[in-house]
Amino acid sequence: MIKLKLSAFVALALLSLNSFGEDTPVAPKRYGQGAGRPSEAQIAEWRAKRAAASEQPARGGAADMAGMPGMGAMPGMSGMMGAPDKPKEYGARSGRPKEEGASKGGRPGGMGMRGGALWLSETPPMRGDGARSGSSRGGMGGMGGMQMGGERGGVAKKRLWLRAGSDPQKSGFAQDDAEAEVATLLVTPNGNPEGEALPAADDSHKGLSFEMPVQGFYRLYLTSRKLQGDTLNVAVAKAEIANIGHGGDEEEINKALVAQRVLESAPIEIVRERKPDEKRFFQLKSGEEQAFIVLQKGLPVQGARVRFVSYQGWSKEAVSDEQGRVSFQIIRDYFPPWNEFEKRFKATYLLIADVTVAEAGTFKEQPYSNVRYQTTLTGNYYPSPDDYASYAWGLGIGTLILLFSGTAVYLYRRRRVQPYREVRFDDAK
Amino acid sequence: MIRQNNSRLQAIRDAVNQVHFNRFRFWFQLLAFALFVYGGYLAIDFGSRLPFFSCGYNQEGRAGVCYLLPLQHQLSQPWPRLFGFAGIAFLTGLLTFALWFIFLNKGWCGFVCPLGTIQDWLTALRRRMGIRYSSYSHTRFEQLTKVKYILLALMILIPLGIGGGLFSHSMSPPFCLICPARMILPLFTGDVTQFTIDFSSTAALVMTALGISVTALFLVGSFVKKRFFCFFCPMSALHYLISKPALLKLKKDGDKCTRCGDCYTVCDMGIREIADDVTTKNIMTDDCTLCLKCVASCPENGALKATFAGIPIFESTEAGFIKRMNKGNKM
Repeated sequence: MIKLKLSAFVALALLSLNSFGEDTPVAPKRYGQGAGRPSEAQIAEWRAKRAAASEQPARGGAADMAGMPGMGAMPGMSGMMGAPDKPKEYGARSGRPKEEGASKGGRPGGMGMRGGALWLSETPPMRGDGARSGSSRGGMGGMGGMQMGGERGGVAKKRLWLRAGSDPQKSGFAQDDAEAEVATLLVTPNGNPEGEALPAADDSHKGLSFEMPVQGFYRLYLTSRKLQGDTLNVAVAKAEIANIGHGGDEEEINKALVAQRVLESAPIEIVRERKPDEKRFFQLKSGEEQAFIVLQKGLPVQGARVRFVSYQGWSKEAVSDEQGRVSFQIIRDYFPPWNEFEKRFKATYLLIADVTVAEAGTFKEQPYSNVRYQTTLTGNYYPSPDDYASYAWGLGIGTLILLFSGTAVYLYRRRRVQPYREVRFDDAK
Repeated sequence: MIRQNNSRLQAIRDAVNQVHFNRFRFWFQLLAFALFVYGGYLAIDFGSRLPFFSCGYNQEGRAGVCYLLPLQHQLSQPWPRLFGFAGIAFLTGLLTFALWFIFLNKGWCGFVCPLGTIQDWLTALRRRMGIRYSSYSHTRFEQLTKVKYILLALMILIPLGIGGGLFSHSMSPPFCLICPARMILPLFTGDVTQFTIDFSSTAALVMTALGISVTALFLVGSFVKKRFFCFFCPMSALHYLISKPALLKLKKDGDKCTRCGDCYTVCDMGIREIADDVTTKNIMTDDCTLCLKCVASCPENGALKATFAGIPIFESTEAGFIKRMNKGNKM
């Protein structure tokens, strides 16, 4: 009977463990409201919307750029960009990338400002990233994986620096370019979903600062437009900052977790696709797969070339599919000596997406026939627990202690057992 | 009318006092276990100030978080912050914990704590296997009962040291890293990730190895000793420090006690005072888990009783004792 019950117990335990390791089902969700991919019906709806927009006459001019007549050449875009390329392996191009100039490797340089792709960083050049600093707050990356900061006790503040280049460690400050037209937009959790203008810093070395009075996700878009020959370069540097703590209003936080994450007026942007099991505090780990979506005006862009650059400068390029989606596995590129290993080491990745379309218009009264869109997104990733946590040692030590203590208790109890002694009384005496 | 109501009330009291207590407690514990280990799947959340081991490391299934986890996190903040604005959050957290605790007193340990329930299940398994249990001698009992206060002091001092830069952050939260609930409770939702040794730093390595070792000792100890871990539990010590205003109380009428020792025999914690002390009214000691098995085993009318806000809710009766004994109620 006891054996039967023990067998049932073991069977139940195995059944409960059986679910471990199964793939989590992906629930279909809308873009901007969590993870998941759009349905075919949604894509058809977006295409219809885009086709309708393309029928409107292009008005051109700088003022029109805010309205963006919805990628007039979009129906022919897939033909122009060709079929999606096979993703290249890390290092297949050149390992660590060199800093890009205006014309190297077919990459657009000087997209609005001089010095390469524009991106927003939470650290100034030369300071580097790495283990969490004493001034950081929270210590957890958010949706964009960027850490929040600010003064203690008061309203949380964040400062971001505009940097140019494609190396998260070596890129310097973006140089001011008088020919470029720059606008900065901040989208706050409880503010206008289309964002509000943020005053530009007098000096790029001072960075862009803003307050984060409520919990939620803050998105900063810095858009630069510059004419080069007959091509208008439109560059959007985007950062997403999580200001979420342990306390606070649960309802406010839950609302923030499912809030809109797409700027409908953005000429181009990259959105990090949330994972189905993602919680309030999310950390992207080395080795994990992470998907991103390239969007123009909130609609997916097919054929955009997207490059992922790791903290050490390793890069991989892929092309977005018809849902604007592209996926990368975050490589492990943190190899310090064991005694210097820091499991909270925060490394920055940089994502650069490019797409060029035949689109005529005028900018500052100068005509152009093509528009080259470039957008960047930065985030953080951390070492995988597989790099420092060992099941073998854990189970080994546990089993050893279990056997040793079990045997010790058994021997101790056995030694204390008194032998049975019968005492007989002879009543006859 | 009043007489009729009184007779109905008396009938209810008789029914409660004669309840098959162990069966009631078993089902109550099972339901509480299911609620706090799997309730998270039903989006149930009782917050993070719970006065029992609803382990925060059981990330998927938990329906709330044991207060010791946020307490240690709060105490490990940098001192300027802890003794500044974060002190308010610390105090409100402590107040919320105290309000939860006051409701059931140490009954949270005896009826709700999932780790306590697991220990009761291991005890039941041992009994079914016909293996005798162990108990401490009185001298050893007196020595070991202080361990939980030492652990409580360390649980407060080490996070403060972390906040002050004296210890590594890898040691945070120190008690949770060595608590067996961190490893055992996530197992029930298929999460085995806590069974690892963390090699990222020396402090993390030592703490996780210690945690695994304590878990192994917990399994062996709980198998041979009833409520083995509760004897060393710092939560139990914290409970006792704030137990004065609690609503649920265990009371003893020494005049009715015959010192038969039944209550001591069934006591999982081996508290001798429950039988020997005939002068103290409020008989709950720091080791007591308020499991109320002593009340159920007492054959004297009204010698032991559990009261809630002064109202008797369960008391010892001769009829109840006889009924339970006739049913072969093993304590």
